[in-house]
Amino acid sequence: MAFSLPVGPQHPIHPEATLIKIEVEGEQVIDADIDVSYVHRGIEKAFEYKTYAQGLYLAERICGICNVAHTTCYAINIEELAGIEAPTRAQYLRLIVEELARIHSHLLWLGLLAHLIGFESLFMLIFRDRELVMDLIEAIGGNRVVPAYNVIGGVRRDIDNALAHKIREALGSLKERVKRYRRVATEDPTIRARTVGVGHLSPSEARDLLAVGPVARASSIKYDVRADDPYIAHAEVPFNIVVYDTCDTWGRMMVRIDEVLESIDMVLYALDHLPSGDFRVKVPPIFKLPPGENVARVEAPRGELLHYVVSDGSEKPYRYKVRTPTLANLMAVREMLRSRGGKAVYVADVPVVFGSIDPCICCTARVLIVDERGQARETTIDELARMRW
Amino acid sequence: MWWSEILEPLVYPGVLYVTFLALLFEWIDRKLVARLQNRVGPYYAGPHGLLQPLADFLKLISKEDIVPLKADRLLFTLCPILALVIMFTASAFLPMVAPYGLASFNGDLVVAIALLTIYALIIYASGIAPPSRYSLLGAERVVLMLIGFEVPLTLSCLSVAIACGSLRISDIVLHQADRYHVLGLCAPAFALFLVASQAELERVPFDIPEAETEVVAGWQVEYASWRLALFRLSRDVEMLFLSGLGAALFLGGPLGPTSSRFSWLLPPIYFLAKSILVLVVLSILRASFARIRIDQFVSFCWRTLIPVSLAYLLAVLWVV
Repeated sequence: MAFSLPVGPQHPIHPEATLIKIEVEGEQVIDADIDVSYVHRGIEKAFEYKTYAQGLYLAERICGICNVAHTTCYAINIEELAGIEAPTRAQYLRLIVEELARIHSHLLWLGLLAHLIGFESLFMLIFRDRELVMDLIEAIGGNRVVPAYNVIGGVRRDIDNALAHKIREALGSLKERVKRYRRVATEDPTIRARTVGVGHLSPSEARDLLAVGPVARASSIKYDVRADDPYIAHAEVPFNIVVYDTCDTWGRMMVRIDEVLESIDMVLYALDHLPSGDFRVKVPPIFKLPPGENVARVEAPRGELLHYVVSDGSEKPYRYKVRTPTLANLMAVREMLRSRGGKAVYVADVPVVFGSIDPCICCTARVLIVDERGQARETTIDELARMRW
Repeated sequence: MWWSEILEPLVYPGVLYVTFLALLFEWIDRKLVARLQNRVGPYYAGPHGLLQPLADFLKLISKEDIVPLKADRLLFTLCPILALVIMFTASAFLPMVAPYGLASFNGDLVVAIALLTIYALIIYASGIAPPSRYSLLGAERVVLMLIGFEVPLTLSCLSVAIACGSLRISDIVLHQADRYHVLGLCAPAFALFLVASQAELERVPFDIPEAETEVVAGWQVEYASWRLALFRLSRDVEMLFLSGLGAALFLGGPLGPTSSRFSWLLPPIYFLAKSILVLVVLSILRASFARIRIDQFVSFCWRTLIPVSLAYLLAVLWVV
């Protein structure tokens, strides 16, 4: 007997209002549909009423976890259009904070995955070790979660030798812990039982459904904005793109764990090669941008993040568009949630599969179609699939 | 004396004592798991949070009682009460203060195990009473679990009974007067018993019927107030019962070196210490795994646990 099971909008696995409507036969999921439009915040419209300097703080609030990625993207977007060049030291400092934020986001996700598969001990321990990074972000920017570190034209504070020493020490001990978690994730039989082969996404599907970030990299697609289109100091700081070919949740987990290790090395390298000089060029609080448009991309912890600005020559943007990685991954996750081609998806897999893309819904929902009669409706995931190129 | 006929079942070692121990066991379990997870655990109510399980129980009872509109009202009310009654009945077989329990007769081991099965069926009934899809899925999972873990649980108890030549718990306990079972032939049965108990108690890695991240709270999702409180208490008594049964069948229950001055005090303490030992093993198991899926659990039971316990039973038959 098949019946539909609503996972959401209120459900323990969702930190935000999301509805996954699944058709269930016994324990097996036949079909799934995702509705993310419960939290439309009108944030793109709000950009049009803010000056460029104010918009930075709005961009920071698009997402709680990847706020550093958003400010980085916003800052380089506006700087490119305005022709402002941030000093090299600022580029390195931005990279350090960006990678620290990536570490904290990946560790948070790892803890949440442990919670989703019922491994509460691992969840608690990872969240304890995540505090090391949170303390570093606080020491650098003055705030644990939203450091407001990037400004247009550079960064807000410098990193001195004492702070650099502190970062090196904390990252050293964190590296040992993450290596231990890597061993746990590789060897623990119950973690493997819950993640290996779960949420299969073949490389061709990943490419076809426009998956980004760790989801794509776990399906053996070597795509990382940091390497393919280097921004800030990424052209000068070496790193390896982590790619797994397991095409499942286990691969996504390993991609993120290995990226944490890579990020730690990148931060240490950037600290060792920190160029001297200014960390900021002064930009007036209200300035006008030449008419034109610009696109900036960064690799947020969840995948490729895209900001697009249109300027009409005034001190406020004419249009500001944000494409978050979760939106790009939604179509892929919907395919992953369906039982297809002999690969059964069970009810118990739904939170794990949906969690494996690291969903961040409040950054994603922003399209509301209002037609001429004033009827408002949301874009369905099928329409989204038809609109892809 | 006539008053001991009333006091023994009701106070010591009856309902009141069992309730006290059950809440104490919940505290030990929660505190130990919390410390293993680098948390503080129960802290505020009473010294070291000792009163927290009682406080939780009382708070739940004081909550608003909600019955879903289309629920089967009879089942919805009966199930929590029956669950608690059955667990109290089962705990009467435990040799808590002497080598024999409150009720002791030939074949009481079989009755105790049968009560566990009935308990699982009541859980199933309580899952189908409310009109909720989550609780329906949870109830389905309870039955699937039952056909998985019941056989190993029964076989592990049965092999001990065969080794001792009796189906009476007190006989099995007295049989261990010179050496404890866990040191010899029955050690594998103890391991099987622990795994099956973990499944019976619906604890990680087998907390599949009430998996929070999958089916919210499974079969208990619609229960609130005193109904939920009774379910939780019955779960605590079950925890006490299974650790106590493990202590009685494999660790010699209340036996131990005695002195004539404290002969009334020492057996309960021995029993408690051994049960807590079993509980500690169960708690450590709870803290060290991820939850497995229901299909993985059933195949684990039928491909590994049941063949192993059957082979072991045959081995015991061969030796004895």
